[in-house]
Amino acid sequence: MSENTTKIMQARDMKKKGTTQKVGKVFGLIGVYAFLLIMAIIVLFPFYWMLISSLKSLAEYRLSPPTFIPRAFLFSNYIDAFTTANLGRLFLNTMYVGVVSTLLSLVITIFTAFAFARLEFKGKELLFAALLATMMIPGELFTITNFSTVISFGWLNTYTVLIVPFLVSIFYIYLLRQNFLQIPNELYLAAKVDGTSDFKYLWKVMVPLSLPTLISITILKMMGAWNSYIWPRLVANDEAHRMITNGLRNAFTTTSGDVNYPVQMAAVALVSAPLFLVFVFLRKYIMSGVSRSGIKG
Amino acid sequence: MKIVLENLTKIFPSRNKKSNDEVIAVNNFNFEIPDGKLIGLLGPSGCGKSTTLYMISGLQKPTGGKIYFGEDDVTELSTENRGIGLVFQNYALYPHMTVKQNILFPLQNLKGADKMTKEAMLERAYEVAKLVQIETLMDRKPSELSGGQQQRVAIARALVKMPRVLLLDEPLSNLDARLRLQTREEIRRIQKETGITTIFVTHDQEEAMSISDMIVVMKLGVMQQIGAPQDVYDSPANLFVAKFLGTPPINVFEGRVQGGKLFIGDAAVMDVNSVEDQDVHVGIRPEGFIVDENGPLVCNVSNVEVMGRDVSVVSTHENSENPIIRSIINADERMNVAAETVRYTLKPHKVFLFSKETEERIYF
Amino acid sequence: MVDNRQQWKAWLYLAPAIVLLLIFTVWPIINTVVMSFMEGYSGLLKAGGQASFSIGVNNFARVIGQPTFQQSLKNTILLCVLTVPISTVLALLIAVALNSIKVFQKGLQTVFFLPYVTNSIAIGMVFAAMFNIIGNIGTRREVISSYGVINDLIRFISGNPNPKNYINWINNGSDYWANMFVMVVYIVWNALPFKILVLLGGLQSINKQYYDAAKVDSTPRWRVLTRITVPLLSPMLAYVVITGFIGGFKEYTSIVGIFGENMGPAHAPGRMNTMVGLIYDSLEQNKQGEASAAALILFGIILVVTMINLWVSKKKTHY
Repeated sequence: MSENTTKIMQARDMKKKGTTQKVGKVFGLIGVYAFLLIMAIIVLFPFYWMLISSLKSLAEYRLSPPTFIPRAFLFSNYIDAFTTANLGRLFLNTMYVGVVSTLLSLVITIFTAFAFARLEFKGKELLFAALLATMMIPGELFTITNFSTVISFGWLNTYTVLIVPFLVSIFYIYLLRQNFLQIPNELYLAAKVDGTSDFKYLWKVMVPLSLPTLISITILKMMGAWNSYIWPRLVANDEAHRMITNGLRNAFTTTSGDVNYPVQMAAVALVSAPLFLVFVFLRKYIMSGVSRSGIKG
Repeated sequence: MKIVLENLTKIFPSRNKKSNDEVIAVNNFNFEIPDGKLIGLLGPSGCGKSTTLYMISGLQKPTGGKIYFGEDDVTELSTENRGIGLVFQNYALYPHMTVKQNILFPLQNLKGADKMTKEAMLERAYEVAKLVQIETLMDRKPSELSGGQQQRVAIARALVKMPRVLLLDEPLSNLDARLRLQTREEIRRIQKETGITTIFVTHDQEEAMSISDMIVVMKLGVMQQIGAPQDVYDSPANLFVAKFLGTPPINVFEGRVQGGKLFIGDAAVMDVNSVEDQDVHVGIRPEGFIVDENGPLVCNVSNVEVMGRDVSVVSTHENSENPIIRSIINADERMNVAAETVRYTLKPHKVFLFSKETEERIYF
Repeated sequence: MVDNRQQWKAWLYLAPAIVLLLIFTVWPIINTVVMSFMEGYSGLLKAGGQASFSIGVNNFARVIGQPTFQQSLKNTILLCVLTVPISTVLALLIAVALNSIKVFQKGLQTVFFLPYVTNSIAIGMVFAAMFNIIGNIGTRREVISSYGVINDLIRFISGNPNPKNYINWINNGSDYWANMFVMVVYIVWNALPFKILVLLGGLQSINKQYYDAAKVDSTPRWRVLTRITVPLLSPMLAYVVITGFIGGFKEYTSIVGIFGENMGPAHAPGRMNTMVGLIYDSLEQNKQGEASAAALILFGIILVVTMINLWVSKKKTHY
C-alpha cells in the first residue's frame, strides 16, 4: 500500500482551489441571508398588512393597486373597532377567566406534580402512565360529554364553565414534575432532618426553584384563555361571558366579500396586541415552554 | 510532505468584552516537520498543542504567521482543500452510518479528476480497513464498537482518502491502559506502512516518547524544545522540559556552583569546571545515581523497592525541591537495604544544571 | 413499605386533580364510548323522557355514510398531507440557515417565532383580507374595486397587469383548490414557528465535531445537509412530523379564521369542513351519539396515523 499511497499523494494538487474558495463562501453566505430575509418578509407580511390596513380609510383600502404606507393615519378605526365589537367587555371577561383559571390551575398543578415527584404511594407509576396516555386522546372526545355534564350542572353561560373543566392539564403536570425531579433529593432529605414539613418544603424550596417552568405554564395558560374559541362558543356565548376570540368572530362574521376591513383589522390588531406584548417581554419562557410541548395554548 | 510553521500565532480574544485579557494560545511558533515522520506535540493542558493541530488542519485560523505544506502556502486555504486526515479526540464517527459508510464517506466527496467508481471506493475502503484490522466490523454501527475499534475506524476514515498529512488529536486518551499500549504501536505501524507525515497531540510524555520520530514540547503557548525523543530526554533545554519528560520524573535539588564545583548543601558532588559561580537547580535523572560508600551525596533512606532487575530507592534530602528523591539502581550493585542513609556519586551525563532565574539549561 | 401516613398525604395532594379528572376526563371517555354505541342517542330525546336506546353500530354507519363526512375526511387528510411535508421542509431549511449564521441570528429567530403568538382566528381574518376580492364578484355585472393584495402582488410579479389576471381565492364562486391553497398557506405559516424552534434546538445540540469532520473530508454543503444533518436530526424531525399530523387532524379554528363559521365560500358553505368541525356540527344538532362516533373515528385515525409515523420513524431515525 505504501508505494501506491505516496504516488497518489504526490499526484494530488490542492493548491488550485485556494482562490475560488473565498468567493464561494461569500456567495453562500449571501444566499443564506437572502433566503432568510425573503422568508422573514413572508412571515411578517400579514402583520404588516394588518397594521397598515387598520390605519387606512375604507376608500384607500379599496385602491387597486394598494398603497403600502397609509396616506393618512386613521386612528379612529381603532375606536370604531373597540365599540363595534364591544372589546372592553370582552377584554375584561377574558382577563377574568384567564387570571382565575391560571391561578387555580397553578395550585392544582403544583400539588399534583409534587405528589408524583416526591411522595410515595401505591400505584404511583401506573397512575402517572395512565394520565400521560390520556394526552393522546383528542379533546373533542371529552367535549361531547362535558357539554352535557356542564348543562346538567346548570353551568351554562357562567364563568365557572369557562374555568373549571380545564383546570387540570396533564401536560403542565408533566412539565412541572420533570422540573421537580431535577431538584436533588438531598435537599428534601435535609429539610426532613430539619423538621420542615412537606408543605413548607414545597412552597419554600421547590416552587421558587421551579419558577421558570411555572412562568412558562402561566403564559401558556393565559394564551390558551386568550385564544380559546370552540368551548366558549358552545357553553358561554352570551354577552355577559363572551370571550375575546368569539367576540371578534361574532362582530365580524364575514371575511370575504364587501367588508369594512380597516375597522376589522384594527380589531384584530387590538386582540393581537396583548399577545405580542407578552411575547416581547417573556419570549424566553414562551419558547422554552413551547419547545417541550407541540400544543398551542 | 514536509510541514513548515512560520511565526504561527493564535490569540483568543477575551470572553469578557470589557477586560482585555486575551489569551495567547500559540505564541510565534517556528518549526519544520520533515516529510514522512511521526511527530508528537507534547505538553500539559492549555499549552496550545491542540490549537496548533487545529491550525494545521485549517479548522482554526491563525492570528498571525504562515503554514506551508511542502512549498505551498496553505494558511488561507480552507480545511476542505487542504487534503488532510484528522482523527478527533472523540473520533466523531457519524453515529447513523455503518463502519463501511463512515469510511466510504470521504471518498464519496471527491470531485472532478479524483472521482472514483463505486468498486474502486469499496476496494480502497477494504484495503484501509485491513490496514487497521477492522475488515470484519464493516457492517456495524459505531455504537456497537469498543473504544479501540472506534479509534481504528476513525483512523481508517482519515486515511482512506490518502491525505497529505494525518493529524491525531489525543488519539489514545479515551482508551484504557492496555489498549493504549497496543494502539500506539498500531499507530506507529500504520504510519510506517503508509509513510504519511503524521502529527499527533498528547499530554502523555511516555506515549509521545515511545512512538514519535520527533517530539515538540510546549508550555503555555511557547515552544520549549523540538527533537528526537531520546535527544530531548538526554539533553533538555530547560527545567520544564527536564521535569516533563521521564518516568519516574527527574529529581531536582537546590544547588550552587562555586569554584568549578557543584554543591548540594555543603557537599561538593561534582566538578563543573566551565560554569561561573551561581545558584542553580540541579536535575538528576533517577538512573543518574551510583551507590558508593564514599559518595559525596548523602540521602536519608525512607524506602527501598526491589523490582527484580532494578532497585528503586526512595530517600529524602533537605535540599531536594521535591518531597522525595527516587533513584533507580541496578540490582547487581550491593546495597545495604537496612541502612538509614545512602551515599551516591553521580553520572555526569545524567545531571543537568539550570539557571535559578531563567530556568534555562547551563551547559558544562 | 410505604407508611400509611404518607400514602394518605399523597392522595390529599392529588385530590383536587383526581376529582376534576374523574368528572371531565375519565367519565367522558367512558360516556363517549357508550353513547357512540347507543342508536341515535340524543341529549334532547333523553331529556324528553326516552330512557333506553338500542345498542348497535348505526351511529358509526350513519356518520360514515354522510357526504359531509367524506368531504370533511378528504379535507382533513388533504390538509395534513399537504401542510406537514411543506412546513417541515421549510422549517428545516430555515432552521439550518439560522443555525449557520451569527449576525442577526437571535433577531431572525424571534421574527420566525412571531406567528406562534397569534390568535389563529384573528390572523386568519388578516389572511382572508389579503386574499379577498372586494366587489360583487360572481354576479352578472361585475364591479370590482380591489382584487386583494395577493392578487395585486401576483400581477406585479408576473408582469401581466391585465385586470383579468387574477384568481378567485375565497370569494363567491371560488374553486375548491383555490380555497385549499389559501388554507395550506395559512396553516403552513402558522405551523412554521414551532417546527423551527424544535429543529433549531435539535441542530444546536448536534456535536459540532461532526461538522468539523465533514469539513476535513471536503463534504459539499448539500451532502452535509442530507447525509449528516438530516439523519442526526431525525428524532426531532420525527417529533415534528408526528405532532404535525396530530395537529393537522384536529384542524378547525384556522378554517373558521379564514372562512368564518360558514366553513366555506359563500356559494358552498361547509365545503372546507374538517373532522373536528363535523363533531361540533353533530353536537350542536344534539346528536351526541353521532358526535361520539365521529370523535372515536377521529381518535382511531389519529392513533393509526401516529402508529404508522412511529413505525416509519423507528425505521428511519438512526439511533
